[in-house]
Amino acid sequence: MPVEIVKDKWPGSVRQVTLGATAAEGGTRSHTVTVGGEASLPFMHFEAPMPNRPRVAIEIKDRRPDDWSPLLLEVWGAAADNPAEWAKAAEQAGADLIVLALSLTKADGSPTQAADAAASVKAVLGATGLPLIVFGPGQAEADNELLVAVAEAAKGERIALGICEDKNYRTIVATAMANGHLVTARTPMDVNLAKQLNILISDMGLPLDRILMDPTTGALGYGIEYGFSVMERLRLAALQGDNMTQLPMLVTPGFEAWKTKESKVGEGVPADWGNWLQRAINWEVMTAVTLLESGADIVVLRHPESVARVKAVIDGLMQPA
Amino acid sequence: MAHTFTVTFDGFPEPVRVPSGSLLSDAVRLAGIELQQPCGGQGRCGRCAVLVQSGAVRRRSSLRLSAEDVAAGYALACQTVIEGDLQVHVPPQEKIERRLTTDRTAVEVSPPADYDPATVQPLRRYTLTLSPPSMDDQTDDWARLQTALRQQAGLSEVKVSLPVLRRIGQALRDGDWTVTVTLDMKTWDCPGCPAALIDIQPGVIPAGDPLWGVAIDIGTTTVTLWLVDLITGKVQAQASEYNQQINRGEDVISRIIYASKSPENGEEMQRLVLDTIHDVLKRACGRVGIQPEQVMKAVIAGNSTMMHLLLGIPAASIRLSPFVTAVNHVPTLSASEVGLGIHPNATVDCLPGVASYVGADITAGVYASGMETAQGITLFLDVGTNGETVLGTRDWLVTCACSAGPAFEGAGVRYGMRATRGAIEEVWINAETAEPTYRVIGGVKPSGICGSGLISLLAEMFMTGVIDKAGHYNTHLNTPRIREGEHGLEYVVAWADETYCGRDIAITHVDVDNLLRAKAAIYAGFTVMSESVGVPLDAVEQVLIGGSFGKYINVEKAVQIGLLPDMPWERFQFLGNTSVKGAYFALLDQRARQRIHEIAARMTYIELSADNSFYDAFMSAMFLPHTDYRRFPTIAAALEETTKNLSRPGS
Repeated sequence: MPVEIVKDKWPGSVRQVTLGATAAEGGTRSHTVTVGGEASLPFMHFEAPMPNRPRVAIEIKDRRPDDWSPLLLEVWGAAADNPAEWAKAAEQAGADLIVLALSLTKADGSPTQAADAAASVKAVLGATGLPLIVFGPGQAEADNELLVAVAEAAKGERIALGICEDKNYRTIVATAMANGHLVTARTPMDVNLAKQLNILISDMGLPLDRILMDPTTGALGYGIEYGFSVMERLRLAALQGDNMTQLPMLVTPGFEAWKTKESKVGEGVPADWGNWLQRAINWEVMTAVTLLESGADIVVLRHPESVARVKAVIDGLMQPA
Repeated sequence: MAHTFTVTFDGFPEPVRVPSGSLLSDAVRLAGIELQQPCGGQGRCGRCAVLVQSGAVRRRSSLRLSAEDVAAGYALACQTVIEGDLQVHVPPQEKIERRLTTDRTAVEVSPPADYDPATVQPLRRYTLTLSPPSMDDQTDDWARLQTALRQQAGLSEVKVSLPVLRRIGQALRDGDWTVTVTLDMKTWDCPGCPAALIDIQPGVIPAGDPLWGVAIDIGTTTVTLWLVDLITGKVQAQASEYNQQINRGEDVISRIIYASKSPENGEEMQRLVLDTIHDVLKRACGRVGIQPEQVMKAVIAGNSTMMHLLLGIPAASIRLSPFVTAVNHVPTLSASEVGLGIHPNATVDCLPGVASYVGADITAGVYASGMETAQGITLFLDVGTNGETVLGTRDWLVTCACSAGPAFEGAGVRYGMRATRGAIEEVWINAETAEPTYRVIGGVKPSGICGSGLISLLAEMFMTGVIDKAGHYNTHLNTPRIREGEHGLEYVVAWADETYCGRDIAITHVDVDNLLRAKAAIYAGFTVMSESVGVPLDAVEQVLIGGSFGKYINVEKAVQIGLLPDMPWERFQFLGNTSVKGAYFALLDQRARQRIHEIAARMTYIELSADNSFYDAFMSAMFLPHTDYRRFPTIAAALEETTKNLSRPGS
């Protein structure tokens, strides 16, 4: 007996957002990356084709980080001492995008200056042809100061600047508008808050196709169910036609997974937990893949092995059944 | 070639000439006529309405003018382009103000037209003349008085209390066997029960002399008392004051927690509210020159927690699941039992509640609002510390409650105050300069901002971009009024040299947040309730608003901030403090008291904490006007209009 496949038809779809600009578009990227455009829930190819595959970004820092797991520092080796080298290594590891996370201080403990941030961004742009996302250190004043310099240094490159939050978004959005960039907008795991920040940013005049939303997530075992369901609800709202939620979602499973005890600690844990490195990578991959299923368009990862495995999963999921 | 037009102003001999394309406001200025433009010529405040008697004009906007106004020739000077020679009349400012009061509704209180104390008032006064005792007639005083009551007042059975018994003998002799007695007929709750003798005074009290009663609303934040002459039914004095319990917690939950800690705390809470009542009672009595002991009856409304705390009944169960009160229908009490400082024998009637969070203030409010007799679907909102909402018609009533906080009563806001003399009650902000203009109750220097002023201020700050939709200050604006204050970012409404207190009056970001929470809770409450009973808000024919945040509510501004739903203004009606009004009606008329009893019995209570839909709706409403902007189409359109007119960095 033939089985009829029930298909949902959605009135709305996610906007397409393009990161990076090639020489023809006024930048220096070797290619651009477009995300979004979904007209159905993730990987439901039989309902509507996904025009753009989810992308994997690798997070690098402007200097050797103080608080990263030794497993990560080991795998990146000397590249972690230099953002340009690190970016090259990340591109080789298969990154679709680079996330450069600026540090609050330099290695000597003095505050990172605007000129330092601009220099790091220029170095990274020179070292790789991939589109770039730059995160400030996460303190409003430092973010505003550094990101303005970054935006000007990268003018024309159509990078994404983050992280906009409801209490600090005006300066970042204004500089993104002035320099032709995008922004990422982070809200703490709430559908309404995500939507509200998108409204605030678009009220300033930044077109919606230049905003990526980051609804925040938790790692596997650390609240991922909550994050999953918020992302799913955001995507359902978008598909139902809610304009202000129709933005691609960027999430940071690498950051989340690598701060869990399971990834961070190698000693004094039960033997049943198995090999530390494998466990840490599994944690990052499982977190990322779960979020892909809830609608993530960009997952930001840290370990190159995770990148390879997540990309393989995406390859598989992108094959129509 | 540019034309010029001649504009002649009524009462001004010299016409002025203006180039074509000029605004009427330009011509007004040229003529040297004073015309207020608190909104800075944005066409939002309606204060510059003038009457175009003849000539051609083009109105770019007629916001705040009704169709009849426009037909009569009214035009907003700041929004009207001169397209021909004109004859214009500029009305005096106070006339404009008066015309504009159509967008706010203040309701005066008056007794029902057919008030007849002889039939509906349970408190009665009789003058009796007794035959004096003699050696031939040694009947005791009380029996003698009973005989007189039976023969002269037709009362066969009357109850008396010990304190009255103690006074009978003296009163009879002081009055030379003529006395005036006051009785409570107790007819509504106990038909056939004996009347109670409350008071006995020597001699004759003329029939027209006042007989005093009080209606009291014990709010979480504000206590209001009306002193009423039960003979005429008129309210002779009103007084209100912040509930002294505020110092022990701003909301009912923290009050319950405090009161439950120890018996002493419970007694303290009882004393604090009694002190507050005595304070307003003394003030009201002072105004008409009587002693509190002359008040013969009190009817009290208030939320369930306030009622419990007043009566010294443990309230802990109100706070804990499954959220039950100790009592919803309190029996009739006497003032001495309650500790209320009126006549010790006076009846104290506490109105009935429905549930832990829907108390007598709401049953009284529903009666006062008239919604229990409404044919169409009516929404009743009590905008107080607890945002209670009732939806229904004369056939059904559902209710819910949510905690809104005291912001709309001016408490919990740094420069908040009650709606009394010296309170800023309305604010306009010039969209270009971010400079405010305000109106103060009593026309004096301001001391603070009352609830209606806060609603108005929040709306203006939002509509002019001083704050964004999330309520955060726009620090990119070039104005000294937005500054980093002691408590973070704030907006200065009045500089120190303009104020009574001699300090800058400002609204801080914490205040804004409190106001947002308050309005979000109220909006979420009625939307979740209307959805849960399957009645869309569009189907609501009238919205009745009760609350003590001012003498009126500016509906337009309340809609702009998303406190009230976006629907035609004529559907809204502001009723003031409906709780005390309901108590007042119950004080006057035993039939009203009976109806309130019935209302309490037929209201269906919906518990909002039963699922997470309220939380979702609340978060959605924590935005200006609302995260779902499709719910507020007229505000969205007005915003678009404002943004078009403004080109400002960072906005």
